[in-house]
Amino acid sequence: MKRNRLIAGAVCAAVAGALTLTACSDGGDGGSDSGEKEITFMFRGGPDEKAAYEAAIKKYTEDTGVKVKVIVTDADQYATKLQAAVAGNNVPDVFYIEQATLQSYVSSGVLLDITEQVDASGIDLDNIWQYGVDSYRFDGELQGTPDGKLYGLPKDVGPFSFGYNKTMLEAAGIPLPDKDTPLTWDEFVDISKQLTVDNNGDGAADQWGTGLNVQWNLQSLVWSNGGDWTNEDRTEVTVDTPEFADALQKFADLTNVDKVTPSASDAATLDTYQRWMAGEIGFFPVGPWDVSVYNELDFEYDLIPWPTVGDGGTATWLGSLGIGVSATSKHPDDAVKLVTYLSGDADAQQTLVDANIQIPNLIDMAEAWAAEEGAEPANRQEFLDIAQDYGRAMPAAFTYGAEWYDELWTNIQPVIDGEQTAADYLAEVQPKMQNLLDESNANAEQAAAGN
Amino acid sequence: MTATVESTTTGLTSEQRAKHANRRLHRTEHRWALAFVAAPIIGFLLFTLYPIGFAVYASLTSWNGLGPMTFVGLDNYVTLFGDEYFRISLYNTFFYMIGIPIGLALSLLLALALNRKIPGRTAFRTIYYVPVISSLAAIAIVWQFAYNGDFGLINQVLAWFGIEGPDWLQDTATVKPAIIIMAIWKGLGYSMLLYLAAIQGVPASLHEAAALDGANAFQRLRNITLPMVRPVTFFLVVTNIIAGSQIFTEINIMTPAGGPEFSSASIVWYIVRKAFKYQQMGYATAMSIVLGILVFVITFIQFRLNRRNSFSID
Repeated sequence: MKRNRLIAGAVCAAVAGALTLTACSDGGDGGSDSGEKEITFMFRGGPDEKAAYEAAIKKYTEDTGVKVKVIVTDADQYATKLQAAVAGNNVPDVFYIEQATLQSYVSSGVLLDITEQVDASGIDLDNIWQYGVDSYRFDGELQGTPDGKLYGLPKDVGPFSFGYNKTMLEAAGIPLPDKDTPLTWDEFVDISKQLTVDNNGDGAADQWGTGLNVQWNLQSLVWSNGGDWTNEDRTEVTVDTPEFADALQKFADLTNVDKVTPSASDAATLDTYQRWMAGEIGFFPVGPWDVSVYNELDFEYDLIPWPTVGDGGTATWLGSLGIGVSATSKHPDDAVKLVTYLSGDADAQQTLVDANIQIPNLIDMAEAWAAEEGAEPANRQEFLDIAQDYGRAMPAAFTYGAEWYDELWTNIQPVIDGEQTAADYLAEVQPKMQNLLDESNANAEQAAAGN
Repeated sequence: MTATVESTTTGLTSEQRAKHANRRLHRTEHRWALAFVAAPIIGFLLFTLYPIGFAVYASLTSWNGLGPMTFVGLDNYVTLFGDEYFRISLYNTFFYMIGIPIGLALSLLLALALNRKIPGRTAFRTIYYVPVISSLAAIAIVWQFAYNGDFGLINQVLAWFGIEGPDWLQDTATVKPAIIIMAIWKGLGYSMLLYLAAIQGVPASLHEAAALDGANAFQRLRNITLPMVRPVTFFLVVTNIIAGSQIFTEINIMTPAGGPEFSSASIVWYIVRKAFKYQQMGYATAMSIVLGILVFVITFIQFRLNRRNSFSID
């Protein structure tokens, strides 16, 4: 009897355990009843980011007495983990947000409106890239407008610049491109042709003018040709315009007509990146996150504005990642304060800049950084110009989800391989993209209404 | 103790008393039984029935996984049957299953080979089992390197024979076979082990009797070994198909964008992308339910077929 009771007790305990297991998934900052405040910060990133944020967090804890629990995830797991945290009602107080998912997080009531707290914190928003700050403003209809409520501050801005292999151009006796006047497309193709040569005499080229990836580089061509992905209020997909088709065709022609890139199938892989680093490629894009690696290479390089296809002026995209605060945070004021430290603290920014993985968020610091003697690349100012003047948001940065945008890339390979004309493909894909954009706009309205 | 008190005060007959005690014993036992039965039942209700019910409801809503759900009836299912990418990913998923019979045949051959007294067979058995216990994510990364068009191990080996290998994972024609080869390699050890156990379970007397009757090695394999390992084959086919219909990790790591022109995307990969990248949780749930039903139907058919073909020896 006694033993039976024991067993039964164990069974009941197990059942009860199973029951409570499902019930104990609430509470944002578990077990801080000792009076000590603790907030959680979830982000993704490498060792450099971790080191930089550790410094900023240490300073924050010293200044405020609030402890910070840090959760770091792999880049590709971040979105899933965050969503699971939201579903489990266990959102970290402070976390990274992407431009493209900001709206759904706002309309689902996950993100806190931090406009007032940021104003009160005394952080000088004018000294942070306006694009970076505005990316996290949302007025209920349009994102990225200067008057919207603020739902986050930038972790960084990512100007996607263009570089050339200085050593290679000098060896070929080609005058170096000017850092203030963008090359025209014809000039660019012309230089690329001169650079595409067979050095070892085996009959096949082993050095190329360029080698671009359509998914990250087409934007510049399209924009400089006066085309765009959508109309201004992001309701019509405009990829079937002649300007867009012309730009895409010119991109594909680099490989198939001008023959200034490695073979077609290589362009879709990392391989042109490897070849650039091996000194086999003349022109290649450069982001701030590349600088630490590129500075170690065996050749010199520098930045120039992107070549222009039409008369739309040089153009490129400017990315950004943001840091937001949970609407269910128990310590919203402390959480916002942490965001201002992470985004705008000079020491933390210095750590990130020293690691050569981003440009400073603070404009005055960035200007000093660009003007440094002996800086590599020498024309760091190009990054700043993009951040300040001519960088544009990615086409899907401010729409409700990016599915419509991704659709363009899914079946684009035949165009790149020269098996289909750009105009044909774009006419084919436009209705599909339009459907998806309509859907995403409808979802945005539904989400806004359901709130 | 209470029983004796009752009996003296109520004056029941011994038979009645016995019955009474019996009933009380039953009642206590019933209560215990209920407690024991409750454990799995509550577990089932909480962790199986409730999630299934929730999923069925979610599949009828438009829901981004964060905010409120909006009931839309069968809309998701209607969309799904017109969704080209759903169709392609379903096709890809079934295409990957070509690897199952190949893998089973290879592992049976291996098991037969390693069942013989060859030197170092324990070492071989271990070597073939290593991929099984390795992390799938790590394996996928290693194979991704191996398949690289320029620097990959596979193309380097092919180059020795003067063959210029394709850029495996970037070519619509080779990406699926590439992933199948990897999956076969990964699963070989597990199937081999089960076959090995089954082969060793075949009574030696059958082989002896057949040999006396003049059956050669191939006839014995065909008429004794193969029928005797049939239950293992059935088990492996069923579990491989269920696992194969959920193939995801290797696809997601080796071709993060679903391959050129969606040529490597599996159904679960597409579900995850819809749910977590595009935040269409309702639609993704509808796809999961269709996938679940498909797997159920296929497994059911397999059991039916197997019943018709099965036999037993005493």
